[in-house]
Parts: sequence; C-alpha cells; structure tokens
Amino acid sequence: MDLSYQEKSILGSLLAMVVVYGYYFAAVLRDAGRPEFDGGSLTRLILAVIAIIVIEIVYHIVLALESKPEPKDERDILIECKAYRNAYFLLATGAFLVIACVIMATLAREAAPTRIIVTPFITVNLVLLFMVLAELMKFLTQLFYYRQGLR
Amino acid sequence: MTKGRIRNNVRRLRFDRSEMTQQELAEKVGVTRQTVIAIEQDKYSPSLEVAFRIARVFGVPLEEVFQYGAPDAEAA
Repeated sequence: MDLSYQEKSILGSLLAMVVVYGYYFAAVLRDAGRPEFDGGSLTRLILAVIAIIVIEIVYHIVLALESKPEPKDERDILIECKAYRNAYFLLATGAFLVIACVIMATLAREAAPTRIIVTPFITVNLVLLFMVLAELMKFLTQLFYYRQGLR
Repeated sequence: MTKGRIRNNVRRLRFDRSEMTQQELAEKVGVTRQTVIAIEQDKYSPSLEVAFRIARVFGVPLEEVFQYGAPDAEAA
C-alpha cells in the first residue's frame, strides 16, 4: 500500500495514542474503585503525556529520514478541516456528558444518600478520555478521506 | 442539490506532454504527488486556483482539462 508522508505521520500518531492511552486507561480502570485522585494517578498521567511526546518526536525524526517530508497542500488542509469538525462534535458531546454526569451525581447525592459519587479522579479521566477519543476521531477521519477521496 | 461530477483529462494531457511524471506536474502546480494522483483518479476536485494552474502548465483552456457533468445531463 502506497502511503503518503501525511498518512504515515497520522498512522504513527494514531498508534502511539492507542498504545499509550490504552495502557493508561487500562491502569485507570484498575484504580476505579479508589475514591480520590491521588498522587500516583497524577504521576501516571504525566508519564503518559511525556511518553506520547517522546514517541512522536522519535517517530517523526525516523519518518523524516526515511521519506521526504511534504508540506501540506490544499487537499491536506481540507481533509484536516473535515477531521477537526468530526473531532469537535465528539469532544462537545463528551463535554456535555461529563457536565451532565457531574450535575446528576450531585443531585442524586443531595436527594438521598447514595453511593453514586463523581470524584475529581473520575471527572479528570472522563474529560481526558473524550479528548483522546476526539483526537482518535480526527486521525481516523483523515485516514478515511485519504483512502476514500473527497468527492 | 444533487452534486454533478467533475471529470478531468490530466492523465492524458501528462502523457501528451512527453510523459510528464506526476511528481513533475505536482511541483509545477504546487501540490503533493498524492493530490495529483487523487485528481487523476477522480477522488478529489481541486480548487479553482489549482485547476487554473494545471491548465496553465499544459497550456490549454480550463475546459480542456476539467469537464463538469451536470446530474441532469447524465440522467438524460
């Protein structure tokens, strides 16, 4: 399969995100029972962000050495715009859901004693989850349009 | 509104111009080779500016490079 420089760049970023944040959220799910956003979880989040940055830098250096970098042209920018639109809708939906989740949990707790609580740990990770999903949506939309075409 | 189809003769015109490569055309027009490939495969309709630049590279009028097939005309 003949992939352009842009496609290789997107594919690398997509895989890096899936691996790093897949590992991160798997670890978060293991800790889901904990009520508070503790220091260990914060360290893991920082490590995940650093890992993504390092992987991206190394990958793009290797990619630049292996294939000649091409500047974005009008088609690349148009595809990126469409990808950002899809990512925006997903992120906006996620933000709405997180807000609704926090409000409903607060109302439920005020109405009657309940075990439903939304801790800062859960809120931060829900926001992060939707940010990651929005980014994945952007990459997948770009790859789709590069393969499918813009008709 | 039903979309029409824009067809092009870029591939034929390239071969008519002493088999100009996709890379050469891309460099002259100022786009990537992948975009030239997408245009030739009817997977991308370029902007008006790029369309004019392609026509200028081949030295022909725009209509000779790109043709618009209106939906009504195709149905008839």
